[in-house]
Amino acid sequence: MADFEPKVVAFLCRWCAYAGADLAGTSRLQYPPNVVPIRVPCSGRVEPSWVVDALQKGADGVLIGGCHPGDCHYVSGNYKARRRVYLLKKILPELGIAPERVRLEWVSATEGKRFAQVVADFVEELRALGPMKVMSEG
Amino acid sequence: MEVLSQVEIAFWPALADSKKADLEAMPKGYIDAALINGAIRTQENLEMVRLLREKSKLIVAYGACAHLGGIPSLANLYGREELLKAAFGDGWRPGPPPGAPQEDAPPELLPKALPLAQAVPVDYTVPGCPPPAGLIGEFFSAFLSGEMPPPGHVFAKVKALCEECPRTREERVLKKIVRPHEIVPDPEACLLDQGIICLGPVTRGGCSAACPSAGMPCTGCLGPTPKAGDMGLSMVSALASLVRAGEEGEAAIPSENEILDQLVDPIGTLYKYGVPDMPCAKEGEG
Amino acid sequence: MYPEGITHHPSPITRSRIGVFVCHCGHNIAGTVDVERVAEELSRYPGVVYSTHYEYMCSDPGQELVKRAIKEHRLTGVVVAACSPSMHEATFRTAAEEAGLNPFLVEIANVREHCSWVHPRSPETTAKAIRIARAVVEKVKGNHPLEPVRVGHAEKCLVIGGGIAGIQAALDVAEAGYEVLLVERSPTIGGHMAQLSETFPTLDCSQCILTPKMVEVARHERIRLLTYSEVEEVSGFVGNYHVRIRKKPTYVDPDKCNLCGECEKVCPVRVPNEFDRGLSQRAAIYIPFPQAVPSSYTLDEEACLGLEPLRCSECARVCEVGAIDYDMQEEIIEEDVGAIILATGYELYPVENMAEYGAGRVPDVIDSLTFERLLSASGPTGGEVRRPSDGKVPKEVVFIQCSGSRDPELHKPYCSKICCMYTAKHALLYRHLVPDGKAYVFYIDIRAGGKDYEEFVARAMEEERVLYLRGKVAKVFREGDKVMVWGVDTLTGKRVEIAADLVVLAQAIVPSPGVRTLAQVLHTSCLDEHGFLKEAHPKLRPLETLTGGVFIAGAAQGPKDIPEAVAQASGAAAKAVALLSSPAIVHSPEVAQVDEELCSGCGVCAPQCPYSAITVEEVAEVNEVLCEGCGTCVAACPSGAMSLRNLADEQVEAMVQAVLEEVAGG
Ligand code: SF4
Ligand code: SF4
Ligand code: FES
Repeated sequence: MADFEPKVVAFLCRWCAYAGADLAGTSRLQYPPNVVPIRVPCSGRVEPSWVVDALQKGADGVLIGGCHPGDCHYVSGNYKARRRVYLLKKILPELGIAPERVRLEWVSATEGKRFAQVVADFVEELRALGPMKVMSEG
Repeated sequence: MEVLSQVEIAFWPALADSKKADLEAMPKGYIDAALINGAIRTQENLEMVRLLREKSKLIVAYGACAHLGGIPSLANLYGREELLKAAFGDGWRPGPPPGAPQEDAPPELLPKALPLAQAVPVDYTVPGCPPPAGLIGEFFSAFLSGEMPPPGHVFAKVKALCEECPRTREERVLKKIVRPHEIVPDPEACLLDQGIICLGPVTRGGCSAACPSAGMPCTGCLGPTPKAGDMGLSMVSALASLVRAGEEGEAAIPSENEILDQLVDPIGTLYKYGVPDMPCAKEGEG
Repeated sequence: MYPEGITHHPSPITRSRIGVFVCHCGHNIAGTVDVERVAEELSRYPGVVYSTHYEYMCSDPGQELVKRAIKEHRLTGVVVAACSPSMHEATFRTAAEEAGLNPFLVEIANVREHCSWVHPRSPETTAKAIRIARAVVEKVKGNHPLEPVRVGHAEKCLVIGGGIAGIQAALDVAEAGYEVLLVERSPTIGGHMAQLSETFPTLDCSQCILTPKMVEVARHERIRLLTYSEVEEVSGFVGNYHVRIRKKPTYVDPDKCNLCGECEKVCPVRVPNEFDRGLSQRAAIYIPFPQAVPSSYTLDEEACLGLEPLRCSECARVCEVGAIDYDMQEEIIEEDVGAIILATGYELYPVENMAEYGAGRVPDVIDSLTFERLLSASGPTGGEVRRPSDGKVPKEVVFIQCSGSRDPELHKPYCSKICCMYTAKHALLYRHLVPDGKAYVFYIDIRAGGKDYEEFVARAMEEERVLYLRGKVAKVFREGDKVMVWGVDTLTGKRVEIAADLVVLAQAIVPSPGVRTLAQVLHTSCLDEHGFLKEAHPKLRPLETLTGGVFIAGAAQGPKDIPEAVAQASGAAAKAVALLSSPAIVHSPEVAQVDEELCSGCGVCAPQCPYSAITVEEVAEVNEVLCEGCGTCVAACPSGAMSLRNLADEQVEAMVQAVLEEVAGG
């Protein structure tokens, strides 16, 4: 599976993770182009159904980026996001999806480096996991 | 409501001795309305409903299995091979029992159990497990009077069950999750507030909250409200949002997880009447 | 494959006419992304009617290009594929507005920071840029034109608490030209600062610097002072609060009372004087201290022998000006205010809790505010340090710092911040007043972060020879007329035993008890785990609460000294004035909204909102001014009745689809 390029959708909160990705850009850090970000106000806006929807539509992984605990611009949206992802990951295996395909990461606006690292690691992990399998007709 | 006197039964395998051949003999569109229950599980089911579609002006998905896939669709979480293996043991090959003629072979299993609408176009749905009398009545009075709502209509409320539930909602937080048999619920208070997973907030109303009124949580038989999307995932989000173990913060994380871990059999609880259409192979355990 | 079902009949798709503008940003984007190809690909994307690329889209000619295209192609939406929205979103939105397009129909596709700067020149990089731009096209397709939410507001400010923070805030707001309602529970303003003898590190006399400000409050034409009053009810929201205040009767007309004090002399009742921390007695009719504001006596109904029926009426008999009115009734004051400043101050952690230091049992173990009264020239001992038990001048005094603070097991885990400094002041003032006395201080460490603070502590240690002992006191007990203090000096490892005459505990600072009821009145969870007021953001919004238009000043937020409390009060006042002086409260319209047809009133949303913007009756309702648009409630809503304006689920699903669709040759 040498030339498998995982496709990743990233939901990034505008105050921290998205801004962290901006800083990665300003600092000209290089990371794999597999991740396409979608800006959301807060990680608390992200719905578990979006994650599954993306995986069903052909994403190999979904990244959710929010502010570190205590730093959420809206105080506690990230705590909700954390609990939702925790519960989602508990049921994913039963729906036939490897929970490692979903990642929740805290990235602050000053952590450009960390953002690049998170993306690189995630893409690497997904590459090892292989493409999202579609249930065969047989 | 007296229905039987106002309609003629064209085909009813459960009561009359109706055969497929009878159906085949009917002209196209001969049947005014076909009420079909059950999920589509086999090749035979599929052929039958296609035939019914051809012979009927209206197709009505009747009951939770036809509407959502129902309990049979829980098997969709596993591949067909896996299922056959579980049911008949290793080494089983499709075909008739030893010595029997080919037509005695069990009908071929489809890869998945399908809700009716995924097999043939469906005009109306009368949901429920079983459909509540009131909703059946609503359908028939519309049908018999000729004043049917626009196609696609589901004969149930657009609002979720909580709207018609007599229980009172107080503090909307989930400090624990319990199974219905583990506690004697307060007769007045919302079950969800007491830690019992009630799907009322995501399920269409229309049953007068029969289950919650009787002390049992709603299990979702009328299906999701029109904009709820995937019932189970919507509830995952709602339940996880409601969990509180004291003030939110890093320190509370372990106790929050403890509460979330109390949800046993999440799939069976959140998707009792139909799992989402997951096009993915089982890779979770692999 | 199976035939498609038709369970839902799709709603007609509104026709979008989107324009896409791809920026080269010189080489910054064009260097690694094939911008021509992006524009080309996008021109074929459904809903896009115009697509182009240009060297510098943010330049004047670039903006002109956008404006012209909006008009010529009757665009219903604009996507600028350029740098981060934090750079030029506002620029392009303004430009679009000038061309007659609602600014909320303009979105930025970030192909620079998130793409061209982080990947090498390659087909993949271009493909990613195409995906990003497509996704944003999908978002714009689902966007609605919006107008900012505007609501009017009252032009009055309510300040709760009449200590130094409340006084400063009230004066600043009033000076800025706005009416102020200053509400204080007790019969006078001044707070704890009025009880202090001198202040560190300058040793100004506390009352001398405070009373002029109190007088200014009394005289200010725009300040309405309501003492002996409590806020009972607050309803409404930012800019539009309706408050109900209950003013208890003082039974003395402040306008008539001339402070002659005759009443006090004839009153047969004597109760402990709270202002002197119980070191002296007062009558049932009293004035807390001579400079009290309002400058009037107050009849303490609870201490009085009886008003109904009248049991004594001695005071009214001697009052020459007839200021005393036993029929005075409580008053309910209702007002509309735009902003609220909470300055409810602090209390000392009750000394009775310090059983390990003999407090409560040994009369000569006192707390720090009591010691302030012993030092004060206007105090019960006239500025002579005399101990409570027998009135003797103590010759050996032990000060114990961190009493009740920094002790997570038994007491408060936090540092009370000001005790190191006032203990140094206490020891120093004591040495001034009793030159042959000995002062010992037990401490954990000295925290003297402040202008001239370190020097002040050094002065106490070196010039005044106060003996600082690093260590904990193990035991305090009474022996004869001495208070024995046993402890360990952890620096030398030696046991220390002092036969003291007086022990002063630097008690922990706790929020004043009224703040809890106040939080309930305000319907907010604005208290932290210790009961102090919680700021909206610990770093960036330290003067605000999570409730819009409600600000914080002083020790109600956490232990702080006078200059800090005053600075915070002025800050909160500036925040309040900014609100009051704005022509209207303008708020982003990208907030949550409820579809009443779908909402079952299940109530899952309300507890998710950090700003208490949601109320649920039959159905949920979002207060547009309070909602900050985080969308947390939207994700929680199980039935899909709650949505976020311009970021609906359908939009996100379309964006995801756009991201994942194949890019030819990418
Ligand atoms: S018991 Fe169930 S249906 Fe009734 S209010 Fe509670 S959650 Fe809603
Ligand atoms: S979007 Fe956020 S701020 Fe607005 S009502 Fe919902 S939870 Fe509150
Ligand atoms: S704003 Fe970043 S996680 Fe809430």
